[in-house]
Amino acid sequence: MVAEEGRKLYLKIDATDRMKQLMTEYYIDAKGAEGTDRPICWITSGGPVEFLIAMDVIPIYPENHGAMCGASKMGVQLAEVAEGLGFSGDLCSYARLDIGSAITHGGPIGGLPRPDFLLCCNNICGTVQKWYEELARYFEVPMFLMDTPFIHKTTYEHATEYVRKQCLELVAFLEEQTGREFSLERFAEVAMLSVEGIELWKEVLKTAEHRPSPLTCFDAFIHMALIVTLRGTPEVVEYYRLLKGEMEKRIENGISAVPEEKHRLIWDNIPIWFEMRNLGQLFARNNTCLVADTYTTAWAIDIKIDDPLTSMADAYTGIYLNISIDLMFEKLLALIERFSADGVVMHSNRSCKPYSLGQYDLARMVTERTGKPVLMIEADMTDSRAYSEAQVRDRVEAFIESFP
Amino acid sequence: MSVDVLSRLQDLTGDPYSYARAWKGRTGGKVMGFYCHYAPEEIIHAAGALPVRITGENRVISDSGAHLQSYCCSLARTGLDMALGGDLDVLDGTVFVHTCDTMQRLSDIWRLDAGFDAHFDVVLPGRMEGDSSREYLYQELGSFRDRTGEYLGPVDDEALKRSIGIHNRNRVLLEEMYRLRRQDPGVLPSDEVLMVVAASAIMDKEEHNALLEELLGTLETRLSGGGPPPQSSLCKGEEKEEKIRLFGIGSVMDQWEFLRMVEDAGGTIVDDDFCTGHRCAGAVAPEGPDPIESITARIWDGALCPCKHAMSRDRAGYLLERITGSGAKGVLFFQFKFCEPHAFDYPHVKKALDEHGIPSLHLEIEQGSVSIPRLRTRVEALLETMRGA
Repeated sequence: MVAEEGRKLYLKIDATDRMKQLMTEYYIDAKGAEGTDRPICWITSGGPVEFLIAMDVIPIYPENHGAMCGASKMGVQLAEVAEGLGFSGDLCSYARLDIGSAITHGGPIGGLPRPDFLLCCNNICGTVQKWYEELARYFEVPMFLMDTPFIHKTTYEHATEYVRKQCLELVAFLEEQTGREFSLERFAEVAMLSVEGIELWKEVLKTAEHRPSPLTCFDAFIHMALIVTLRGTPEVVEYYRLLKGEMEKRIENGISAVPEEKHRLIWDNIPIWFEMRNLGQLFARNNTCLVADTYTTAWAIDIKIDDPLTSMADAYTGIYLNISIDLMFEKLLALIERFSADGVVMHSNRSCKPYSLGQYDLARMVTERTGKPVLMIEADMTDSRAYSEAQVRDRVEAFIESFP
Repeated sequence: MSVDVLSRLQDLTGDPYSYARAWKGRTGGKVMGFYCHYAPEEIIHAAGALPVRITGENRVISDSGAHLQSYCCSLARTGLDMALGGDLDVLDGTVFVHTCDTMQRLSDIWRLDAGFDAHFDVVLPGRMEGDSSREYLYQELGSFRDRTGEYLGPVDDEALKRSIGIHNRNRVLLEEMYRLRRQDPGVLPSDEVLMVVAASAIMDKEEHNALLEELLGTLETRLSGGGPPPQSSLCKGEEKEEKIRLFGIGSVMDQWEFLRMVEDAGGTIVDDDFCTGHRCAGAVAPEGPDPIESITARIWDGALCPCKHAMSRDRAGYLLERITGSGAKGVLFFQFKFCEPHAFDYPHVKKALDEHGIPSLHLEIEQGSVSIPRLRTRVEALLETMRGA
């Protein structure tokens, strides 16, 4: 049954305008800071941005920019610049397009402002480590690597201690780079705002537990931008309060994100940025809501105010991509149960090995344990060259048809 | 004499797990597999087990395709295929060392699906500079010693020190083999050099040390002009023209046919940075009162895999120094498709080579689909350019 008539397939979230405004202001401000004495630091998406905010350093996220380039369908042309320099087309497409954009100032916002230094945290992948090494060489700026030991089965005390020590080293690094003194008081304030923002973000995502859901993961992919980039600021807190209010109002008024929600699925992996709109509509047309995902929940980390350093060391080490497949499975199961999902859609993402390798096992584990089906889509987060829209459409429709 | 040594090593590398099977039958000891040259073999050895390296093989994938996507490197895909297909049944367990994203996930999949008795992870630091990273490395090695002890039996300091001595001896002897080759690559063709190194990772080190000593004796005799010339069919004694010296960069290099082809085409890999090559030689563990500290120092100061981060140790600078020191006039990048750490470094290293006027060739391969004729054309083109220069 395909819902073409009646209500539009996509219901705009009013708060989006405010988010766009905040993101625009953020990028304009950051670009304006280039060449001034306001320090700019490029940081990985899983990095401890609270330290930067507390030191009044402007954080810039090449991955967020990568998503923007992908969504604007500019990923391929920028990636090709890097490929022309000898970077293999098999490398992470965020890295390729980011290197391309750094060189050409290409992309929807004319490239990112030049960094004064780099903060890389390998809790999301080893790829960022190599990518940032290249950035450090290209821009000739210092790089700090926050090294978070991977958790296969358990967390070891010496690993936590190692990350905690690195938090202190990071403070010293930032003090040296900025010439400013680190204030623990200011840091605690930022950590508190960060926790508040994260809690609100969790509550926003939680509204999708409601049947029918007021939002889809495609909405969450867009609205996660602030929790990734600017957590620890009052604007983020204010924004997610607004968004949460809107979602609650939708529930009160019986408004659902997908006009006729019949099936509920979980999304796994980074979005296919260049195809988000089509995919969102494809699922909506087939009365299916992607109610949650493993990606946007990755920023729902726990920081404890009474001991921010230790709890941050634990939180940043324990994120979704830094744990083993069996530990990921527990989290995925919890999502399936909590959001009453009927199945899972996995994006097997050529660009992201820590996210994708292991998905075949995860899929089997899900079906064995819950009896629920899993659909595997082969794609890439920003490189559209290997993507087959028709094939994905057929597979998605066949998958949904299989539901009773 | 050395002919016997070499044919023995050739047999071993042709059927890498036959030795372990025989060893197990003979000693009743446990056999522990490992992928990465960073694995602290000394600790496994000191516990009375035989550490045996896994490097995948040239094979068509059957079982591992259900676990690993096609954009995963062939090293992981063929190795897992061997494990799932029962080819690694001699193993009692496996030790995975934290290097790249692929090995990290392969460890999970291996633990969940391959069905070996024991599974260990040594989560080495990603950063190899700074006191806190070194301290963490030390603690992680100690933790590994405790954890393996529960399975293999406890390892006391004296046993570990003895193992360190044996492994150090191996690295010194391997380094000596490389030194003699740099002096005169004609003493041993590069496929045999890398076979000697490969054999050291699949057999008892003391036995390997004895073979190496015998081999080195023969090489020295050859160098001083005595004794018969190398007997290898492809290192032809009658060839007068000196081979073009190349330096090899990559991870695992056990494509013997490829190496013979390079020799045959008139080149020779006189030195390398392969993790199944020179990275297994040289750096010894400084012997002292605390054996874990000794192993820490060896790993910390040894050659770096591109997976490891140390801005203070520029990889291009390091390689240039090694290349110059080896007398190599050109470079062969021999890299696995989908290997991110090497692929990220390639443009940087290539640029440095270009700036120093060192010609190079970038070859990307997948185990199981190595086309020697196609590679030969490219290698010959490089050698011709170099002869013309």
